[in-house]
Amino acid sequence: MSGWRRERAARDARIEAGRAHAAGKVVAAASVVDLLEAILRPGDRVCLEGDNQKQADCLARGLSQCDPARVHDLHMVQSGIVLPEHLDIFEQGIAKRLDYSYSGPQGARIARMLYGGQIALGAVHTYLELFARYFIDLTPNVALIAGVSADREGNLYTGPNTEDTPTVVEATAFKNGVVVAQVNEIVDRVPRVDIPGDRIDFVVEADKPFYVEPLFTRDPAAMTETQILMAMMAIKGIYAEYGIRRLNHGIGFGTAAIELLLPTYAERLGLKGKIATHWALNPHPTLIPAIESGWVSQVHCFGSEVGMDRYIRERPDVFFTGADGSLRSNRAFCQTAGLYACDLFIGSTLQIDLSGHSSTVTQSRVAGFGGAPNMGSDPHGRRHPSDTWMKAGREALVTGDPALMRGRKLVVQIVETFGEKLVPTFVEKLDALELARKLKLELAPVMVYADDVTHIVTEEGIANLLLCRDADEREQAIRGVAGYTEVGRGRDRAMVERLRARGIVRRPEDLGIEPLDADRSLLAAKSIKDLVHWSGGLYEPPAKFRNW
Amino acid sequence: MSDRITDPATTSWYEASARARLDGLLDPGSFREFIGPEQRRMSPHLPLFDLPRAFDDGMIVGAGRLDGQAVLVAAQEGRFMGGAFGEVHGAKLVGLLRAALDQKPAALLILFDTGGVRLQEANAGETAIAEVMRAITQVRAAGVPVIGLIGGRAGAYGGGGLIAGTCSRLAVSEGGRISVSGPEVIETNKGAEEFDSRDRALVWRTMGGKHRRLTGGADAFADDTVAAFRTAALRLIDTAPAFDLATLEAEQARLEERIARFGDCRDGTEIWARLGANDPAAIPAMTTAEFDALLAQIGETTHDAR
Repeated sequence: MSGWRRERAARDARIEAGRAHAAGKVVAAASVVDLLEAILRPGDRVCLEGDNQKQADCLARGLSQCDPARVHDLHMVQSGIVLPEHLDIFEQGIAKRLDYSYSGPQGARIARMLYGGQIALGAVHTYLELFARYFIDLTPNVALIAGVSADREGNLYTGPNTEDTPTVVEATAFKNGVVVAQVNEIVDRVPRVDIPGDRIDFVVEADKPFYVEPLFTRDPAAMTETQILMAMMAIKGIYAEYGIRRLNHGIGFGTAAIELLLPTYAERLGLKGKIATHWALNPHPTLIPAIESGWVSQVHCFGSEVGMDRYIRERPDVFFTGADGSLRSNRAFCQTAGLYACDLFIGSTLQIDLSGHSSTVTQSRVAGFGGAPNMGSDPHGRRHPSDTWMKAGREALVTGDPALMRGRKLVVQIVETFGEKLVPTFVEKLDALELARKLKLELAPVMVYADDVTHIVTEEGIANLLLCRDADEREQAIRGVAGYTEVGRGRDRAMVERLRARGIVRRPEDLGIEPLDADRSLLAAKSIKDLVHWSGGLYEPPAKFRNW
Repeated sequence: MSDRITDPATTSWYEASARARLDGLLDPGSFREFIGPEQRRMSPHLPLFDLPRAFDDGMIVGAGRLDGQAVLVAAQEGRFMGGAFGEVHGAKLVGLLRAALDQKPAALLILFDTGGVRLQEANAGETAIAEVMRAITQVRAAGVPVIGLIGGRAGAYGGGGLIAGTCSRLAVSEGGRISVSGPEVIETNKGAEEFDSRDRALVWRTMGGKHRRLTGGADAFADDTVAAFRTAALRLIDTAPAFDLATLEAEQARLEERIARFGDCRDGTEIWARLGANDPAAIPAMTTAEFDALLAQIGETTHDAR
C-alpha cells in the first residue's frame, strides 16, 4: 500500500472495530459506549453535534461514559457547548482541547473551567468561521450527529432542524472520517434523504428523541412599552429611510417587537412591500402575523423552532421545504445568506463601549458568539449593489475617488440603556478585555467591532455612526443615546445637540414619534395564544410558553 | 399605558392596569376613590429594603355604580410588586370592607391580581389577610355579596387565594389562576417530578381559569375583556347565595364530595373526563363559546355552596 492512503486505512480500521458492535450500520442505544470506544483514538478531533438548538444528546451521554483510559485528549470542534456532558468530558480527561462558537446555557461553567485551566481553548468562532475551518485545519476524525430518522442503509432524514449537519458530514465523510448518527427512529423509508447513506457509517437508535431548545420564541406578553418604542424608532428611522427589504433579526425582544409592529404600525406608515420582505431568519413565532398579513415574500432558516413545523408545512410559498413538505434549514447556507445577501443585521448585546465595540461576554460568563459577529459585519467580498447598501455607503466617510465608493451593510444594535437587573449596557471598557487579559487570550472576544456598527437604537434615540466624521463625534453620538447610564450622563450636551442638528443623533420627536403612543395595543399579537390564532391553529407552542 | 378605556368590549382585562379595569368595569365616570394616590399613603417598610414605593401601594379602593347599583370596589395593581399584600395595601381593603357594613352597597367587588403576601412586610401582610377574611364574613353576614374577579397576570395566589375562597362568588378568565402555593413554590419544595413549574400547560390545567370553573372553584367564566367581567359581575351579584348555616354546610359537603370523587386524579384532564367531558385534552384550546357549551353539557358546576 502506498503512503498516500494512511488516513483511509485508519478509517477502515476504525469502522471494522465499530462493526463488532453493530448489525450492519445499526447500533443499539445500549452499545453506544462500546461503539465510541472502538472507533475513537486518543487525540482525535471530534465534532459532537450540538448547536444553539438541536443536540446529539444520546451520543453526548455515551461519550461522557467512555473510559478515559481508552478515550482521552480529544480535541472537540463543535459549534455549541450546551449540554452538561459537553463540559463533563473535559473534567473527566476524555477531552482536552476545544474550538467552538456558542455556549449560552453553559456560559458560567465554561468560564470557570477556562479560568481553572481544565480546557485548552483554541478560539471562540463565529459559526461560519468554524464551519470554514472544518475544511482547512479543523477537519474532524469523527463526527457524532443527530437526525430524526434513518433507514438501515444510513440514509438520513434530519427534518426541520437540519442546521449544521450537512456541513459537519461533508467535512468528515469526504476526508477519511467516521460519521455516527443518532436518530429518533429507524424506518424502512425516510421521508426525504437529507444526507445520503454512503456518508453515514453508523446509525444509533437513540433511547429518546434528541433535545431541541425553543431558543427563538419570544412571548409577546412580556414585551414592554420601552421595547415597542425602540421598535417604532427602528422602523421609522432605519427600515423606512433605507428601504430595507433583505434582512436578518437577532433574537431579542426589541427585534421581536419590530416583527409584531409590521402589520400594525408599519402598515399605517404605508411600508408594506417596501420593507422586510426577504429574510434570513429562524422561523420566529412572532413573524407569524407579518406573514399572515402578506408582508413576507420568503424566509430562509438557520434551523427550525419548536412548535412551528405544522405552520411551516402549510406555508411553502414563504419557507424552504423539501419534497416531503417539512422545513429544510441549513445553518451554513443561511449564515452565508445573512452575510452576503442581507442589507441589514439588527440585534442586541450586553455591553457597548464608547467606540461602539460590543460584547456579550461578562467576567463570569462566556456565552460565545453564534452567528451575530458574522451577520453583524460588513462583507468586503460583496459586489452586488442595492439601494440600501449604496445609500449607507454614501453616508459613510468616503475617501479617495467617489467613483470607487462601495456600499455598506447596515449593522444595528438595538438595546435598552439598562439591561437586566439594571446593569448599564453602555460602559467605558468592555468586560471582554478583562477576560482576555485573565485568560491570556490573544484576541478579545468582541461580538461586533465598532467599525462594523452603523446605528445604535435605544429608548432615548438613534445614533447614526455612519455620519460621524471622527472618534470624538462617534463617542458623543453614543453617549447621546446612552440615557442615564454613567456613559450617558458623561455627555457633552452642546456637542450632542450639534450632532442632533446634523441628524446623527435623533430623538423620537425628531422622527415624529410620540413616546406615549408606544403602547402594547400596537402589537399585532399580545400573547402566545394570539400567535396561535394568527396561525389558524397551526402553531403549537411548547408548554413553557402557554398560559391556558 | 392608559388608565382610561375607550372600548371595554375589546380591552383585555389581563393587559389592563388596575385603574383601567375599574374605569371600564363601572358605569362611566361613577368611580370615587378613597385614599387616592394624591394622599401618598405608602408602605413604611419598603424604604428599609431600598425598594421603590407606589403612591397607592398597589391597592385602589373606592365607590362607584354598576348598572346603576351602588357598589364598593377594590382593585390590586399586579404590576406593582406582583400585587402583593403589604400593610397599607391590606389596610385599605379591610377599611373598605368595614365601610360596607355601614353603607350596605349592592355588592363589594374585589379585582384580584396578587401573588400573595409581600415578603418585605410579611407580618403586616399576613395579619391583613386574616383581617380581610374576617371582614368578608362579616360583610357577607350583613347581606352584602362579595364578588371576586380574577383574570390578571399575577392571578390570585397565597393569601389572595385564601381570600378568594371566602368570597360569595368568583368570576375567572382563562388566563386567571387561583391557588395558594404557586407553581415555583411547589416545585421548590416537592421537586419537578411532583410539579414542573415550567410546564405551563400543566400549571393551567391545575390552577387555571377553565379548571377552576369546571370544578366549581369559580362560578362564572369570562372572556378576557373588561366588558365580559362586567357582565359576569352583574350576574354573580344577582345569584349570590345567602351567608347562613345551610350555605356553609353545602360548601363543606361540596368539598368533601370533590375530594372523594377526584382525590386520586393525577392531572386536570382526568378530573375533566370524570366530569363527563368527551375530549378532555381539547379543553385548553376551546374558545369561550365552546367552553360555555361544555359547561352546559356537564351541567353540575353550578351549586348553591360557598
